[in-house]
Amino acid sequence: MNDELSNPDIPVPDELQSTVTITSLDKIYNWGRRSSIWPMVFGLACCAIEMICTAASRFDIARFGMEVFRATPRQADLMIVSGTVTKKMVPQIVRLFNQMPEPKYVMAMGACASGGGPFKEGYNVVSGIDKFVPVDVYVPGCPPTPQALLHGLMKLQEKIDGQSLKSVRWYGQEASEAVPVPVLGPDLLDPRQHALLAQQAGQMPVNVDIEKDL
Amino acid sequence: MYGIGIIKGMGVTIKHLIDSFVDDMRFLGRRYYSDESLNIRQGTEGRGVFTVQYPDEKLPVPEQFRFIPFLLYETDDDGNKTDRCTSCGICAKVCPPQCIWIERSSDPETGRPIPAPTNFFIDIDICMNCGYCAEYCPFDAIKMDHDYELASYDRTEAHIFDKERLDKPVEYYASIRPNDYLVEENARAEEAAKKAAKKEAAAAKKAAKLAAKQASEQAAAD
Repeated sequence: MNDELSNPDIPVPDELQSTVTITSLDKIYNWGRRSSIWPMVFGLACCAIEMICTAASRFDIARFGMEVFRATPRQADLMIVSGTVTKKMVPQIVRLFNQMPEPKYVMAMGACASGGGPFKEGYNVVSGIDKFVPVDVYVPGCPPTPQALLHGLMKLQEKIDGQSLKSVRWYGQEASEAVPVPVLGPDLLDPRQHALLAQQAGQMPVNVDIEKDL
Repeated sequence: MYGIGIIKGMGVTIKHLIDSFVDDMRFLGRRYYSDESLNIRQGTEGRGVFTVQYPDEKLPVPEQFRFIPFLLYETDDDGNKTDRCTSCGICAKVCPPQCIWIERSSDPETGRPIPAPTNFFIDIDICMNCGYCAEYCPFDAIKMDHDYELASYDRTEAHIFDKERLDKPVEYYASIRPNDYLVEENARAEEAAKKAAKKEAAAAKKAAKLAAKQASEQAAAD
């Protein structure tokens, strides 16, 4: 039987070692979940090329049970945000995230998805997807190599291993709240309004709402 | 006849399948989980399965592979660490995504700047691994690393590398980039030799001048 599943706290008699294994419900539940994380078919930029490479035979994501890239959020467990998130794309990404059933995980792959990367102060790029959806694992790199991505996926598996049926949010009493979908609005800076903005800057609250910020 | 192409194509697939078993026999027990066997499977001799069994075996990275910079420090005989970095800020200036933040230090008594950073931050979630910092550094103090296993659950703390996290010994650099290290060391030795020669020449010139002056004085006295 699988060694990682057996529970060392409860001893099994020697004569039954080969036939009986004792495990906890949490362990078997997490083992099942983490060995079949289905990502969503979801590529945004150059990181997606590395993700495709990871899925191909040289690195073979199927060894982790993740080869089933699903083309619908309803069947996906993991959203790999692979690449630059433009402001025009954010509403769609958040909507896809909301459409995924629990348990769901988000991985920010590469510099752009994690923190904006070289476009962090760009007029059209969001500086990090973590401002819009909860991110579980950040994978640095520009782009991360397939092995770095696999390392990130293993980190995600570790995270899943640490979860417990008692505390996971999708079995809680309250229904999970949908993440608010940001609205694509006017740009941050309209050159025609420079004077007005400079005038208003003194009265602005410190924490600007993200949705308005867009 | 129709379908010959399909049969040929399937033949290729079958050949790969059979090859993978033949290869298993050929390298019985030595086929996976060692650098040597990985090289064979990835090389021209490789047949059948060529998947890199990632956590157990890793594809060797080329010497020029770039991933997140690190700072070099030198350790003297007493075990004191001295950073090569002088906090000149050239790397922070050339960095295209502006992910480097340097805190300069100054002498607490006189207030004059000291050529060493108090702290050095790199936001690795911004860094685009271009290697400009390493390219432009005049002191060879910042270099690109080979370690790509940096994924974590937290961005704001784990992914902002400070000086402590960035500091790595020169020996580590020599181990990951032996050729670059040799070239740089040779260049440095050459530079030092040139400097010494120049100094010697200047000293010789000075001596000659002095001798000539003495000789002329002697002649005048005579």
